[in-house]
Amino acid sequence: MAKTKRVFIPGCSLSSYRPELVEEVIKYLKNKLPGTGAILKCCGKPTKALGQYDKFKERYAGLQSEIDKLGADEIIVACQSCYLTMSANSPEQKVTSLWELMPEIGMPEGTAAKAEKSDLTIGVHDSCSTRDREDIHNGIRWILDQLGYNTEEPPHTKENTRCCGFGGMVVPANPDLAQKVMDRRTGEFETEHLVTYCAACRESMTKGGKKAVHILDLIFGPVWTSESEFPGLGTPIESWVNRYKTKKKMQKVLS
Amino acid sequence: MQLSENLVREINEIINDCLADESPYCQSRCPLNIDVQGYVTLIGEGKYRQALELIRKTIPFPGILGRVCAHPCEEECKRGEIEAALSIKNLKRFAADMADDPEKWDLSRAPETGKKIAIIGAGPAGATAAYDLQKKGHQVEIFESLPVVGGMLRVGIPAYRLPETVIDREYSILEKLGVNIHLNKEVGKDIDFEALKNDYDAVFVAVGAHDAVMIPVEGSDLEGVLEGADFLRKAGLNQEVKIGKKVVVIGGGNVAMDVARTAWRVGAEEIHVACLECRNEMPAHSWEVEDAEEEGIIMHPGWGPQKIGGNKKVESMTFKECTQVFDEAGNFNPDYCEDNLKTIEADNVIFAIGQRADTSFMNEQLNIKEVDQLTLQSEVENVFGGGDCIGKPLLAVEAMSHGKKAAESIDRYLNSKELTENREEEGAYESKLQKELTREEPVRRRIDMRMLNLEERKNNFKEVELGFNTAEAMGEALRCLECECKECIKECIMLDEYSDSPKELFERVKKDEVDPLVYFSCNMCSQCTIACPNDFEIKDKFMQLRKILVKENNGESPIKGHNAIKWHQRLGFSKLFTTTRAAVDEEDTK
Repeated sequence: MAKTKRVFIPGCSLSSYRPELVEEVIKYLKNKLPGTGAILKCCGKPTKALGQYDKFKERYAGLQSEIDKLGADEIIVACQSCYLTMSANSPEQKVTSLWELMPEIGMPEGTAAKAEKSDLTIGVHDSCSTRDREDIHNGIRWILDQLGYNTEEPPHTKENTRCCGFGGMVVPANPDLAQKVMDRRTGEFETEHLVTYCAACRESMTKGGKKAVHILDLIFGPVWTSESEFPGLGTPIESWVNRYKTKKKMQKVLS
Repeated sequence: MQLSENLVREINEIINDCLADESPYCQSRCPLNIDVQGYVTLIGEGKYRQALELIRKTIPFPGILGRVCAHPCEEECKRGEIEAALSIKNLKRFAADMADDPEKWDLSRAPETGKKIAIIGAGPAGATAAYDLQKKGHQVEIFESLPVVGGMLRVGIPAYRLPETVIDREYSILEKLGVNIHLNKEVGKDIDFEALKNDYDAVFVAVGAHDAVMIPVEGSDLEGVLEGADFLRKAGLNQEVKIGKKVVVIGGGNVAMDVARTAWRVGAEEIHVACLECRNEMPAHSWEVEDAEEEGIIMHPGWGPQKIGGNKKVESMTFKECTQVFDEAGNFNPDYCEDNLKTIEADNVIFAIGQRADTSFMNEQLNIKEVDQLTLQSEVENVFGGGDCIGKPLLAVEAMSHGKKAAESIDRYLNSKELTENREEEGAYESKLQKELTREEPVRRRIDMRMLNLEERKNNFKEVELGFNTAEAMGEALRCLECECKECIKECIMLDEYSDSPKELFERVKKDEVDPLVYFSCNMCSQCTIACPNDFEIKDKFMQLRKILVKENNGESPIKGHNAIKWHQRLGFSKLFTTTRAAVDEEDTK
């Protein structure tokens, strides 16, 4: 068996959103960084957010044993919440965000300048959990620039970004309040089209009335224009079906 | 719910240091800490009576302060950074003009304590202390050497700025409350200070600076050389003042302006004011100088007295150019160019270069200037001192602040309470607010006070400032920027929905009066911390509170909506939805 130097963990929300994006990321990492494995498992952050600290410890230990099983010394994440949780709880591994990694290893083949002719101006929504990670903010802008999209920065951006409304498990607890937070956030943008780099943020921006995509949609999907049909909101059943499909695709691409 | 000791400590930090109840700049700068924003807002809402009552809660002299307060509040007003400070003093007078009614004064008192207090001097310090102490149930007797009440308010400030009717009306509250005022009773002459000390439970020495400071100038013994303080006192007591046509006033402070403008009113025709300082360093407030100039007073800043000319009677005053007032070390050390002289014809020369209080009636062993600055208590435990006599001549509002402070100390002393505890925020202090102005704030011009026509001012002491009318006051009140710290509340929808401020919210948290839903409604996004001048980590407190709630609820969230998460978590860890895949290709190892 090949040595697993690093492991890509896509996170729950991305794998529930679009399995094919996870598949493309693994292919890309395999190509650029041979020696990359992958794990699909929850990090337990929802329990932590609820204050269920004992449960969280138990959950995270489960994930950690999978990482250790592979012997990886680096974790690559595509979710900012995973980034924080794993940075804090896997002291033996180096945790790297896909968005800081891409400028270092280069865009996937054939993606550079592909959207130069798009008529869109895309508003950039930063995740609040990594508000102090300048390298992540810069990586996202670098990717958008490489693709060739015009972008818009809202008044609150980067280190000063506002929450999408999803954070802290507020949606199930207090949906009306969460909706207000979502509406205020989307209200900051002039453009109708937004990009996020967190699938949960994408959902919030959509609930806030905008047309929103995940940045991986821009990288691996078609060229998006004002004519494109933007993804909407999935049902919980669809999410679980997607997650199952993600597992299958991961097993296929890493076999 | 049971909060840990650590969490309580962290919560207390927020409760103590949250700036939500920090006084705005105007109020913290006011020596009396009057709730300026409060009464200005009420005026803007047309609630004049409530505005007036709010002022009266602190001080029973709204009409006096509304006319003569030097308004240090306005110096700190944030509006000043846009175009000009709010006209706070004039709004105070407006509230008094519109709504002050002696019939509605609050004359309630605490139950009689049986304690007797003697106050020496019925000026602003003495009167304020008398009011507060009488309200607290003590029996106050004021001993005043003049035949009238008001002290320097009356014999230092001319009636065209502060009519005596205003003083008498507002001072009448003292007698209505039962204060005994003994006029024409000079301590040291009519009554012995030692007797007061022995016969009363406490004595407050609040003597004003009525004695002029004189400097030795050649010719100062000539007929026609006058002392400014004496001149103003005679005018204030409606005594006849004899003055020539041409008058020279020496001094550059507010008193010099009052002297010059009084001289103009009692018949002088050509009035000169000379002072050592250059124009922009004159100690008088700029508006006092401007008002004097409007009445034709001629300013000679940068000139020092050389000699008074004349034979028996004053005929002229000669000045030498002043090239320096203070030396490099900041000490008063004037320097002159003796070759550059100018002489002005004069019938009178009036000195208005400084005043001091006469406290010679006191036992030589007791130096009233050495009172404790925090408590105003002297080395004799039942003797307190305040106002001009413990240092330098004060602004009226500062003297009143001393009166308040002395009253508080005396009340504590009489009740055998600790005198020094919790007194940091008495008097003016620096506000901890950090308001940043947005560039979008519309410019709103400061409304000028209408003044009596110049020709109507001559030969009388009619009040010059006419007061705001309703339209002017409403317009001025609307200029208030309502400075406050609600930065987190403005940023966070959730905090805004469930609290007035973190301070208020966490006070309720401590009492376990907060719906758990609030703790589970925080997005954990840190925007509150970014907005907070104190960088309070509020989300961290909510997180700790969540943990406690879960712990006290058998490891489960008490929020109904969170039931679904339990199932999501089970699935997210089930074999059906998890996989671990090793790398299929080795990393190049070059």
